[in-house]
Amino acid sequence: MKTKTILVLLAAGALWAVQPVQAHHAFAAEYDSKKPVTLQGTLTKMEWVNPHGWIYMETKQPDGTTKKWTVETSGPNQMSRRGLKKTDFTAGMAVTVKGYQGIKDPGLANGRTLVLADGRSFYIGSVGGPNDGADR
Amino acid sequence: MKYFHYLYAAAAVALVAVSVIAGCAAPAPEKPPAAAAPPYRPVASIREVMNSVIDPSVDEVWNSVGSTVDHKGLTDRAPNADEDWAAVRRHALIVSEAANLLLMHDRPVAPPGAPSLAPGVELTPEEIRALIDKNPDGWNFYVQQFQDALTPALAAIDAKNSQALFDAGEKIDETCENCHTTFWYPKAVASSR
Repeated sequence: MKTKTILVLLAAGALWAVQPVQAHHAFAAEYDSKKPVTLQGTLTKMEWVNPHGWIYMETKQPDGTTKKWTVETSGPNQMSRRGLKKTDFTAGMAVTVKGYQGIKDPGLANGRTLVLADGRSFYIGSVGGPNDGADR
Repeated sequence: MKYFHYLYAAAAVALVAVSVIAGCAAPAPEKPPAAAAPPYRPVASIREVMNSVIDPSVDEVWNSVGSTVDHKGLTDRAPNADEDWAAVRRHALIVSEAANLLLMHDRPVAPPGAPSLAPGVELTPEEIRALIDKNPDGWNFYVQQFQDALTPALAAIDAKNSQALFDAGEKIDETCENCHTTFWYPKAVASSR
């Protein structure tokens, strides 16, 4: 019984660990506008969901290791209005994301622009981000 | 002629008498009754209602429709069986009705002594309370705007229209942001402009 309880708790913990942050906070509460990042890597997963989309990607580190990133985007309909569709994504595709790193989670970023392998570039920033001109 | 003088005098006396009697019979102007204490008793703070009631249920509404791209390809998800639609409807109703909880103005913003969740970015509970007290109509407006945004979601659920539910999700988020940027982190929004 005790073992079963522990397994359930572990499973719940694992599920919680992969859930992206959903609570509403100001941009500056979660992301550091003084830490811009440019992530060149491979898309592993895309969640096209309200209220924010999520890009999961891996980048190669200078030491050869791989780093996993979770990138928050604006809402899917906002991205659609800018021409980006869910069908533009495939796992394994090369992507470049410019954004800002998370304050507490160094593997989290808020995306501002997304460049696909075919060269198309899209604004993917959410409301309240820094006034950096990415949306123009 | 003298007869008419007596008649006028009698009429005047009668008029005064009627007025006095009427005045005595009329109830004295009453003081307005003291406002009765509302029958409801808030238990949780606004922060707790958000975290315990609204956030978990609105996430269920949002996550019920969407798409995932991964190594298996593109997978769309939406409520399918009647039970799925019933489940998401329960969550939409919880959110919609929970908006009424936010309209109880004697509900504290956060538990006693609770700090800002993001000091320097989000206001303290005391600062938020001051903003709400200064602008109660604005608070009511944004909360009701949020509640109104659930109406298309409920209609989409009743019509079993997943695209309409997806579109309604965006509007719900907009109303969340409208309220949060006004009362929770107005400084952060101002600094990003």
